[in-house]
Amino acid sequence: MLQVAGIDVAYGHAKVLHDVSLDLEEGKMLFVVGRNGAGKTTLLRTIMGLLRPLKGSIYFDGGDITGLPPEQLYHRGIRYVTQDKKVFGSLTVRENIEIAAYSSGEPLSQALDKVLEIYPKMKDFLNLKAGQLSGGQRQILLIGQAMVGNPRLLLVDEPTQGLAAIVINEIARILKHLKGRLSAVVVEQNLPLVSQLADRVVVLKEGKVTQVLDDASEICNTSLLEKAL
Amino acid sequence: MIYAIMYGLTVGAVLYLISVGFSLTFGTMRVINFAHTITYTLGAYLLIASIRSLGVPFFWGGAVGVAVAALAGYGIERFVIRRLYGESLDYTFIATYAVFLIGVDIVKWLWGVFPKPVSDPLGKTVDILGFVFPTYRLLVILLAIVVFFGLELFMRKTMVGKIIVAALDNREGVRCLGIGVEKYFSLAFVLGSALAALGGVLYAPITAVHPYMGSHILLLCFAVVLTGGLGNLRGTFLASFALGMLISITGRYWPAGSEIVAFIAMAAVLLARPIEA
Repeated sequence: MLQVAGIDVAYGHAKVLHDVSLDLEEGKMLFVVGRNGAGKTTLLRTIMGLLRPLKGSIYFDGGDITGLPPEQLYHRGIRYVTQDKKVFGSLTVRENIEIAAYSSGEPLSQALDKVLEIYPKMKDFLNLKAGQLSGGQRQILLIGQAMVGNPRLLLVDEPTQGLAAIVINEIARILKHLKGRLSAVVVEQNLPLVSQLADRVVVLKEGKVTQVLDDASEICNTSLLEKAL
Repeated sequence: MIYAIMYGLTVGAVLYLISVGFSLTFGTMRVINFAHTITYTLGAYLLIASIRSLGVPFFWGGAVGVAVAALAGYGIERFVIRRLYGESLDYTFIATYAVFLIGVDIVKWLWGVFPKPVSDPLGKTVDILGFVFPTYRLLVILLAIVVFFGLELFMRKTMVGKIIVAALDNREGVRCLGIGVEKYFSLAFVLGSALAALGGVLYAPITAVHPYMGSHILLLCFAVVLTGGLGNLRGTFLASFALGMLISITGRYWPAGSEIVAFIAMAAVLLARPIEA
């Protein structure tokens, strides 16, 4: 479904990704792990069209999507949940979802149902300014917003970063709920979570893929994952 | 003192009309648009040209001024600003300042360099508790308040407004939701240009209309927008009236320093609340 083929990405003269390739099958969850500065966020931003690779290609559903802008990729079913938990803080939670519904052409009531399905408690916050939500609630709102329309591929950047254990459990529950329903590339440093959910793990080190783990026994072994970093 | 307050409110109203577009364009497009106040100048000159050449009354002259200046604003956005999205602020400084200088020279070429007076279109006064105020100035203040509430309604209740507000918060987030922000930026730009032109039209009977009137007010707009918060429309409204009052009241006791205080206030606000990088 998604193929990243030998991409190099740079910020100015500083090359961040070197010949990175990965492959994701329909309905699977691929986790990208690596230390800070390994290029994980850069990889997601490049897939989403926010950065253009210097070389290499990205294919989605067999079509070349290299360099296509995020506006077009959204309508092909690709959703990006950023690391910074940046919701539209001046708008209400309902309006945040309304914008996604407007863009995808889905009725608002249906869009709200999708968000409430993954997190029913959001009902209490619909009329609250999204900027007033906690970090975890913002993260959940962003994942919910990504579910609006017809998402096929979810790109999620460090969904549990900086969150309390109880919220991490909630996010893990939501990701488990989504597993099998759509495909996802998730950047995550929480190795126990990775071992629970991943179908494949790609290890990035200094911008290069150093290891790909497919075997369930390897993925479940967090100490092996730790070593791979 | 009461008259100084009234003058301050008038200055604040005009500052708001001009600055709100400035704030909008920076907030959404991250472009500091030096060319913004050329539409303010254009609005005032087109008003005068319409009244004198076409013989139309003030209201219709003002409508022509706002409409043509908004069109000019669209041209500036379409052919200059749109090429600068995502570029370094240095380029936007240079390009928009160049547009501003070209605009000033076109105004000089078309209408000459000498100031042009415009008479008070209402020519009436109102007596409030023994204080006599020109009705026109009250109308200008009222219009600025109506524009503020109209803009609030537009931003809060329409989808276009909500998308502009969302883009003010997180432009990249809007793009990642499949929404091409450029057309909304164009709209925000044209709206800002139209409001600046309205400011020029309304201020024409109060001040002298001359080719450099835009460069004079541009610095005050900077002070307003930085004090109110870049992209913060409510902050821009409050800062406009606060600085307008400060300018007017200082002018009563220390005329030479009337505008300096606006920049001192801006510096104080920036010290307390630095701009996020």
